Amino acid sequence: MPDILFVKPTLPRAGAMVLPLAEGFTLSGLAREADEATGGAIARGLEAAGFKGKKGQTCTLWAPGGHLSRVVAVGLGATPDERSAEAAGGATWPLVSAEPEAVVAAEGLNAALAAALAFGARLRSYRFDKYRTKEGAEDKPKLVRLAIASAEPEAARAAHAPLSAVADGVFLARDLVSEPPNVLFPEEMAERCRKLEKLGVEVEILGPKALKELGFGALLGVAQGSAREPRVVVMQWKGASQGGKNGGKGEGRAGPVAFIGKGVTFDTGGISIKPAGGMEDMKFDMAGAGAVIGAMAALAGRRAKVDAVGLVGLVENMPSGTAQRPGDVVKSLSGQTVEVINTDAEGRLVLADVLWYARERFKPRFMVDLATLTGAIIVALGHEHAGLFSNDDDLAQKLTAAGTAVGEALWRMPLGEAYDKALKSDIADMKNVGGRPGGSVTAAQFIQRFIDTREGPMPWAHLDIAGTAWATKDSATVPKGATAFGVRLLDRLVAGHYEG
Amino acid sequence: MRLRLRAHLGARAALRPRLLPWRAGHPAPLPDMPFTTGTARWREGVAVAPGPDWEEAGAAAVAVLPEGTRRAVLDARALRPEEAVAMASGVALHAPCGFRLDLWHADTAAVAPLWRNARAVLKGVALARRLTLAPGNALTPKLFARRLRRLERHGIAVHVLGRKRLRAAGFGALLAVGEGSANPPRLVVLRWPGRIPAPPLVLVGKGITFDTGGLCLKPAAGMEAMRADMAGAAACAGAMLALALRDSPAPVAAVLPLAENAIGAAAYRPGDVITTLSGQTVEVVDTDAEGRLALADALTYAVRAFRPEAVVDLATLTGAVITALGHHRAGLFGNDAPLAAALCAAGEAVGECLWPLPIGEAHRRDLESGIADLRQCASGRYQPDACHAAAFLREFLGESPPAWAHLDIAGMVDEPADRPPGAAPIPGGFGVRLLDALVAGRFEDPHRR
Repeated sequence: MPDILFVKPTLPRAGAMVLPLAEGFTLSGLAREADEATGGAIARGLEAAGFKGKKGQTCTLWAPGGHLSRVVAVGLGATPDERSAEAAGGATWPLVSAEPEAVVAAEGLNAALAAALAFGARLRSYRFDKYRTKEGAEDKPKLVRLAIASAEPEAARAAHAPLSAVADGVFLARDLVSEPPNVLFPEEMAERCRKLEKLGVEVEILGPKALKELGFGALLGVAQGSAREPRVVVMQWKGASQGGKNGGKGEGRAGPVAFIGKGVTFDTGGISIKPAGGMEDMKFDMAGAGAVIGAMAALAGRRAKVDAVGLVGLVENMPSGTAQRPGDVVKSLSGQTVEVINTDAEGRLVLADVLWYARERFKPRFMVDLATLTGAIIVALGHEHAGLFSNDDDLAQKLTAAGTAVGEALWRMPLGEAYDKALKSDIADMKNVGGRPGGSVTAAQFIQRFIDTREGPMPWAHLDIAGTAWATKDSATVPKGATAFGVRLLDRLVAGHYEG
Repeated sequence: MRLRLRAHLGARAALRPRLLPWRAGHPAPLPDMPFTTGTARWREGVAVAPGPDWEEAGAAAVAVLPEGTRRAVLDARALRPEEAVAMASGVALHAPCGFRLDLWHADTAAVAPLWRNARAVLKGVALARRLTLAPGNALTPKLFARRLRRLERHGIAVHVLGRKRLRAAGFGALLAVGEGSANPPRLVVLRWPGRIPAPPLVLVGKGITFDTGGLCLKPAAGMEAMRADMAGAAACAGAMLALALRDSPAPVAAVLPLAENAIGAAAYRPGDVITTLSGQTVEVVDTDAEGRLALADALTYAVRAFRPEAVVDLATLTGAVITALGHHRAGLFGNDAPLAAALCAAGEAVGECLWPLPIGEAHRRDLESGIADLRQCASGRYQPDACHAAAFLREFLGESPPAWAHLDIAGMVDEPADRPPGAAPIPGGFGVRLLDALVAGRFEDPHRR
């Protein structure tokens, strides 16, 4: 990962130069200087290539003259905004990563947009290569220094600092999701959460003994087939109550915001085993937990003035002699009993206990859970939107807006009594599946039964990220692989509504 | 259902099963009634408290009538006229064929006109149900078109295009779908002139009279349900009848592509490229995704022939929409937020609920073809096929598309596999009341612009 610097505009003497340009641009500032230094080669090159500055458009001019090895123009669209600056930064990365140094001529952008551009480049630079032992240095990106030339470098640097913390959170989540399942199992994942302590997050790990005593019967049922022990990790960031000017006791503060993640470190389906084809993808069945951990890291990393708790339920779902069977009845932490019809509908069992625990212990002001929960959500929406289910229109609206702002799109899906009926069991309080029709909706209805509203309304939203947690191809700021979907969304939700 | 409206009942009539509504909080109409909501039977009949509304109360009343009851009295003297009509509608929608209801109300003069309107819509629903339930051999495209001809007597202009004229006009997609069948396709155009001089609302309904899947044959289990693959067209026809019977002032047309998707020596194949009426070429990926092809040509025709104010299409289009929304809501797609909102509101009002689903950029990209202008669908498991289908249809609205909404009603016709034997089937005719309510609420105001 390169160092990102914000510098005063000076013409680079070698390496790559990046020109972020809006539609209808005229070369000015550094770009103009470079153009003059190359005898007008840049302007002519862009003209010849048909570069218009459209969003997503890029153009590379090789050795245009002077000592520059390449000039890369990236389009910002008609009216540059944070999204298009980010995308331009992301598009820049693969075009300059083979150079040791690159300078971005961003004097035309204000501090926020310059920071967004750097953020986009950083997000795109992610690479999970720790297990590629034979990759030579020549195959790896060489860029060590990305300098953003800005008219106001101080302001841009300040604007970039919180984004950098968010990028750290995104990278942490991507690392967790990318790790193979033999390396990352519940215990190991819980240990990695400990690293958040350095950022000031209180981390508490509940092992099988504690979970049993507390009564996490649904979660333990899922875990019982695996040789790997389950964990529940509780992460608390007290950014408002400690140190912040709005903190302190006796102010009648609302409870913390609560994020809950499904963390099935590998999901074979259990006794209701999945088909072999594509099962390797099930290492990302902990992407919801990964996003929650990443979001906590982002909030703590940028010292967000909010009290936030993150809880993740970590299990491995395996078939074995001790595994849970279809037909088993488990008693959840809430006291409600569940007839397990399909052991591959395990995520909701994990969430059921963790959500109940979160509500009882923290009395949060709202709860958002993230889970790679159903294949049905992919059939419903595809890979562009995650499914959003909520019992609270205001929370749903805020989440949707936050998602749109950061490019993690949500689409609201229905809830309703008619769907809930599909969960009726003849022998227990409910079944854990409601059949194929409306499969994501009945899954959400199941979870909703574990949102305790006995003491008043409990705003809650469930994000089914099964279709968005993993990308099969590169996009502007997300290289293919783990997307960390949810980290930026949760961070933006907090930044927009729950700080200060 | 036949209904007689009475201000007084004779002594004999009073002996029939009596449906007796009352309001929670009011004194129970009979002694020994231990409950305040729901239904109860006593020896003379059924007492009903309203559920969410009086129409549901009517449905609930039917459910608890003794089996084989063919006739009942609705003692609605305690209800306001509109409530009485709502409850009678509820009875009508759920009562068995040939049921007779005597509606007993003091103010027959107020009830009568309300009932006339309600009855028009119920007749439309009944038509849609009859068509949907008709088996595939009794309702070929030709026979379907013949039955629609009968709508002429209600003042609806009926225009039928046969194979020759479809070929001459260039309905390449609709013809391709029907190619494998011995029963060639038809395009039926229904027109209700209304009285408002405005461009019409055009309804487009998928009318696959039987869907085998074609060469991409469906599994045998459950294939019999594919006789209902024309439920979209049936709903449109039912809605047209309702509008005509209640003499709606709104100009409305329906364009119904009718075809049978069969296996035959001339059947279209996966890999075929067909030229649609719009001129765009389409690569066929799955012959069982035939509905969108038939609709594509119908949409193009609808936009060209009518320059409509709005287009609403209904189709039992995808299994994916059932995976997404189950059997409680139909999927709603479109390009116009006000029209979508009006449809949602109409649906909630009549209990035919919709839920909006997206057409994303990626959905359209997934349809890019290496050989034609677009692919008909994507291949592989876990495809958002309902969204793909909607993205596909959107390409056939012409250069300056009108307001358009697409309702994927597959889940509202297919019965849930886990329906207990003997339980009442899902009432058919989904869409008729919704479309009627849409027209009433949005297209009948002459000064709406």
